[in-house]
Amino acid sequence: MFSTLSSLQPRQFLTQILNFALVLSTAFMLWKGLSVATDSPSPIVVVLSGSMEPAFQRGDLLFLWNRGLDTQIGEVVVYNVKGKDIPIVHRVVRRFGGGEQPLKLLTKGDNNLADDTELYARGQDYLERSQDIIGSVVGYVPFVGYVTILLSEHPWLKTVMLGLMGVMVVLQRE
Amino acid sequence: MSSQKIAVYSLSDLKNTTDDALPNYLTSLKFAQSHLLTDVRLALGYTAVIIAGATFYADWKLGWDATKYWTFWAVLVYFMLNGVLTVWIWGVEKGTVFRGEINHASAGRNTLSISSSVTKHIPIYNITVTSTDPTGRETKTQLSSPFTRWFDADGFFIAKPFQQWLAAEIPLIGQVDRKNAPGGEGMVGGREEAMAVVVEGRLETPRKGGAGEMMPPGSTRSRKGRKG
Repeated sequence: MFSTLSSLQPRQFLTQILNFALVLSTAFMLWKGLSVATDSPSPIVVVLSGSMEPAFQRGDLLFLWNRGLDTQIGEVVVYNVKGKDIPIVHRVVRRFGGGEQPLKLLTKGDNNLADDTELYARGQDYLERSQDIIGSVVGYVPFVGYVTILLSEHPWLKTVMLGLMGVMVVLQRE
Repeated sequence: MSSQKIAVYSLSDLKNTTDDALPNYLTSLKFAQSHLLTDVRLALGYTAVIIAGATFYADWKLGWDATKYWTFWAVLVYFMLNGVLTVWIWGVEKGTVFRGEINHASAGRNTLSISSSVTKHIPIYNITVTSTDPTGRETKTQLSSPFTRWFDADGFFIAKPFQQWLAAEIPLIGQVDRKNAPGGEGMVGGREEAMAVVVEGRLETPRKGGAGEMMPPGSTRSRKGRKG
């Protein structure tokens, strides 16, 4: 029996590490599971700009669905522009192709005066449904994503939060 | 372990310290501990964690589109392993704190498995002892004792009364650990089959701990004379 060679202590240690690792990995795999289910690389996003007001405010949390590629006019989609990192939430106002042809879409923010051609990458006049879109909005929770906006816009808040947590740890110790 | 001071009002501290002391005591009696249960748990858990880690790395390096297909399988296998792990912990381990066997001179080859539990907010240590004698007969006993028996008011674990409790209540341990078994050397012996029979016993109250609590009567008949 090889297992009797080592004592219980390293096993207890490994078990503690495992419990911690399982918490982290389960959170990550749930996220990935949601990605697989919705077929979207990022199935939950936070609205960062006011360009879709009054439909969506800054800080709204959006749930995306990326199955069923036949996107219709009027749907709100989230897309990535090539070469830019930030996903954009706008409404589909024109569609070309579809069926046998690859579907192409033109989008516009409800609160913007012009359509999105300005926002697209240089030389790009429309979005490829199968490549650029990461999902259609199927549900939302107002405002709860605002914390992430605050944290990204005011980095000092992160420091404050970390500090508060540190103080709490110190205070809780007897 | 026993030199560590714990908070006496923390039930999990009481239980964890006792759980740790149990295998320490039994291995000191030359019980050979089997780590199979823990090893299977660790293998299941770490396989799952490695799968998640690999998925994270692949996603980070290659992006979503390239990893989509494999992410599906990784998620599936990950949660299946998690399910098996949960079943293993709740259905198979069931709070087992010690599993092992001993090849004892007089009693032969016996296996012993002890699982422990506590009820929320009640400072009583419950254990279920399952032992198998050389003929393959299984004996299952449930025991309970207040933690005050082996923790002093300052939160120090006192090994002696704890060991006496186990040696008195569990025939197999009493047989091996004559020093802690009640009436130890002078007992009138029965036969081997009667090993697990619990009879009304002459039992002194333990010298330490256990203020005011009753020690349930119970002693073992064991083979006379020989020292374990």
